[in-house]
Amino acid sequence: MLNHFQTMVIFALAVSLAFAFLSKSKMDERLRYAVWAFLAFLVVAIGIGWLMYPFSR
Amino acid sequence: MTESQKHPINPGFALVAAAAGWLVPGLGHALLHKWGKAIVYFCGVAILALIGLRMRGNVFSSNAADAFDMLGFLADIGGGIFYFLAGTINPLGADVSRASGDYGTRLFATAGVLNLLCVLEVLQIGFGSKGEGRTAD
Repeated sequence: MLNHFQTMVIFALAVSLAFAFLSKSKMDERLRYAVWAFLAFLVVAIGIGWLMYPFSR
Repeated sequence: MTESQKHPINPGFALVAAAAGWLVPGLGHALLHKWGKAIVYFCGVAILALIGLRMRGNVFSSNAADAFDMLGFLADIGGGIFYFLAGTINPLGADVSRASGDYGTRLFATAGVLNLLCVLEVLQIGFGSKGEGRTAD
């Protein structure tokens, strides 16, 4: 079974790829956008996780 | 002559493609000869929906108790065939008492909303407002 981080990575990958194909028409633009969106998903999710960490105790 | 002029799209066909794309993610783009997009959209929606169901996410039914349930239903029904096969794919049903079940609910809803975006793009391409013709992509 997938852990939460693996699930988030798969979620970010699927959504960023779909967004790239929806919003860009050229393949190199799609690739750049997909990588950027994927990394943004991860950074924001981990950042928000750390921000919420003090409230979990 | 542009590609879209070479392959004028019948509005009726665009609606049929959109309906097909809702029922089977990516099929609408395949009917418009957008093979690359069809594969990416099908894989993206299918992966999210299947993982969401395997994590025992909740699938909202049409008899919603409140507005949030109705929104959940509208998101879930966007997944097309995955909504109708949810009981077969996950015969155990939902279990949102654990965090993974709750995440599964979100993943399945995301799959539905993503597929609805793809359906809208099929309509855009079909009616010519996206500037893409019926050519291979």
